[in-house]
Amino acid sequence: MNRPFLRMVGIKKWFPGVQALKGVDFEADQGEVLALIGANGAGKTTLMNVLGGVIQADEGEIYIQGEYADIRTPLDAAEHGIAFVHQEMALMPTLTVAENMYITRFPSRLGLINYKATKERCTQALARLGIGLDPGTKLQHLSPGDRQMVEIARALLSEPQIIILDEPTSSLTSREKARLFEVIGSLKQEGVAIIYITHLLDEVFQVCERAIVLRDGEVAGGGILKDLTYDDVVRLMIGSKEISPHFGRRTAHIGDAVLYVEGLSRRGVLQNVSFTLHKGEILGLWGLLGSGRTELARAIIGLDPIDTGRIQVRTDGSMKAIHPQEAKNWIGMITEKRREEGLLLPKSVKINVSLANLPALISRIWPLIDDKRETELAEKFVNRLEIVISSLTQPVATLSGGNQQKVVLARWLQRNPPIYIMDEPTCGLDVGVKAEIRKIIGELADAGAAILLISSDIDEMIGLSDRFLVMNRGRIVAELSAGSPKDKLMAAAAGVV
Amino acid sequence: MLRSSRRQLSIRDFVLSYGFVIALVLVFIVYAVSTKHFLKLTNLMAILHTCAPTLIFASGLALVLMTGKLDISIGSIIFLATATGGALMTRYNVSPWIAFPVMMLIGAVCGAINGFVVTVLKVNPFITTMGSMFVLRGIALTVTTGVLVGIPDFLTDFGSARIGPVFVDFPIALVFVFLVYLLHTRTKFGRYIMAIGNGEEVARRLGVRVERVVFVAFLLSGLFASMGGILSMAQVGGVSLHMGVGLEFTGIAACVIGGISLFGGEGSFGRYVLGVLTLAVIENGLVHMGASVYAYPFVRGGIIFIAMYADTLKSLVQTKVKQTIEEPEPTGVG
Repeated sequence: MNRPFLRMVGIKKWFPGVQALKGVDFEADQGEVLALIGANGAGKTTLMNVLGGVIQADEGEIYIQGEYADIRTPLDAAEHGIAFVHQEMALMPTLTVAENMYITRFPSRLGLINYKATKERCTQALARLGIGLDPGTKLQHLSPGDRQMVEIARALLSEPQIIILDEPTSSLTSREKARLFEVIGSLKQEGVAIIYITHLLDEVFQVCERAIVLRDGEVAGGGILKDLTYDDVVRLMIGSKEISPHFGRRTAHIGDAVLYVEGLSRRGVLQNVSFTLHKGEILGLWGLLGSGRTELARAIIGLDPIDTGRIQVRTDGSMKAIHPQEAKNWIGMITEKRREEGLLLPKSVKINVSLANLPALISRIWPLIDDKRETELAEKFVNRLEIVISSLTQPVATLSGGNQQKVVLARWLQRNPPIYIMDEPTCGLDVGVKAEIRKIIGELADAGAAILLISSDIDEMIGLSDRFLVMNRGRIVAELSAGSPKDKLMAAAAGVV
Repeated sequence: MLRSSRRQLSIRDFVLSYGFVIALVLVFIVYAVSTKHFLKLTNLMAILHTCAPTLIFASGLALVLMTGKLDISIGSIIFLATATGGALMTRYNVSPWIAFPVMMLIGAVCGAINGFVVTVLKVNPFITTMGSMFVLRGIALTVTTGVLVGIPDFLTDFGSARIGPVFVDFPIALVFVFLVYLLHTRTKFGRYIMAIGNGEEVARRLGVRVERVVFVAFLLSGLFASMGGILSMAQVGGVSLHMGVGLEFTGIAACVIGGISLFGGEGSFGRYVLGVLTLAVIENGLVHMGASVYAYPFVRGGIIFIAMYADTLKSLVQTKVKQTIEEPEPTGVG
């Protein structure tokens, strides 16, 4: 047998304005779980897209078992025994589980699809992963975890020798995660090479044996994980850049109330939620997945209807009741779904930055947008947030996740609303950018903004918040002061008060 | 927990998907009670008769819609194919054995051109087929030399032929739709169409040759349009200069009423048949109600609007359902 099983040599890839891969050498062996780690924009996904035939490298070669492999399309990759489980799931919601899994390989008889055989095979394939799903269920009726398992089950159908898992646990519950790790274990036993892409270093040390760290399109280092510490890996990821994962607590200057929510209810989702948010305060909204945190945020700014309840904001020095539909005038919303909710991806950085603030950019002479002012303001905020771009006209789609999130922030900073709601503002970003964005959040509060912060990262919560509200099943079950210990927060969220 | 939410969902789904069946039944009752002749067997058979060409010419369009694309050129394709076929048979005495294949070839070629422009030149399908709608009608008008094109007698006879009370063309159309149904549900091509309708990028990543499938869908749309055109010219007994005008919208209306989503990835040919029937029943009833001719476009427009709104509503409800299901019981943090 030729070793290593997979070898990628000198892979280079240019995108408009950036070189995403600067000559990467990469090797993987059978029966190993290899972690591919790197900050956002380091080139992990690009490298794997090259291997999976989703995009083609501009330079470089791929060898499998020592033989040159010409991979141009996903089909070529499949023929070479490569399966790619994508981060954004490649599933079709209106089709059934069986159809999703067998779409390119239906068993057929006389040219017609044999549905009975499809279903039987599908049930077997799912059973192998310990999943008891009905093959006839439509994908849109499944939980994200089950969808992920269907995706993995589909990848395994071709009996691949190399499996690429791109952030496979991002939508899984802990039970589903455990099941996935079992499956990875048994695949390893069967001699499959598994490439595991993730941000979560805990998982890397739990599941993988070896790591390769990418930084700015180059291999920054790597090695056997047993010989590495958490800090080693982080240092490889971020290079020389300073980080402080545990930031010093701010001294907050809390002022008058600016947002007052009273008796907010929505049937089956929110129950009688009341709270006050003050000027200069970061209020941490803590709760487990499904506790109603995001739903509360959506209800406040009018994205979801409410049954009862009142919302007041401070305008011109006095509190005034507003309709949730008007809330957008006072509240800036920043979410983790920056791609879906926040950004016009094909448009330029400039257009995206000024989007929330267009009325203020109208020229004084005629009712047209003042281009000079737009450019000046955009430049100002790009510099302030240290957004890495080649020019203001660069399309947002070509930026890394961290820079995209900064563009969203820049947009709201320019508008300067008195209140912010931030739902997982650093989700999916790498350690370095996380720290930068946390610093910006702190500065915003110091400058007098009132911030409602939602985060699943308990360290981020504790590090930033001046006060906590804990939610469980749509209700606020506890209010805790800054400096409350982790276990107290966890217990409150689980309903043990 | 999932089970119960699925059951609630299916009732909702049923109302949204088959709401027009309820409407069909209501309209049927209203017509039956308020007019003298609507419920007579001859009239009911006449309704099925009018459905026959639509069932065929809109079935290819249905495939295109399922990929999330649009074809508004089928009316002009019908005109060009039937005008050429009619002219060949009556003006040049060409045998129908040659004329019919030529008509189908014209349909297929027109569809293929649409498919080429959409998949290779990457032009928006609406603009592409709007262009061919004008161009093909222009060519067809040249073919007719500006006067009505006749058709041979055997074809006229076939257009009104019956077995017992049933017009022959309706069962033919049903058999045809059944074949398309098999194509849609039981072949890879049919499944690929649904995959593309769910998301082109997703389908491409799975190794579906998106361009090829979409190309074939457009080709079939043109081919089936010309085949429906044959039934249509047989019924009318000739090819007028207005042949096929507005048929693309009749087709789209029938598809949308039949639950084929304009967003792509959704629809079945069972419901499609009901959609075609619904449209035919409503228009037939208007005749018996003695409604003004000018009321027809109004009613048809209204129906299309309502059906589209129901389509949008359905996709909205589905996103909401997705959201509520996406919250499992708390099992861990983030």
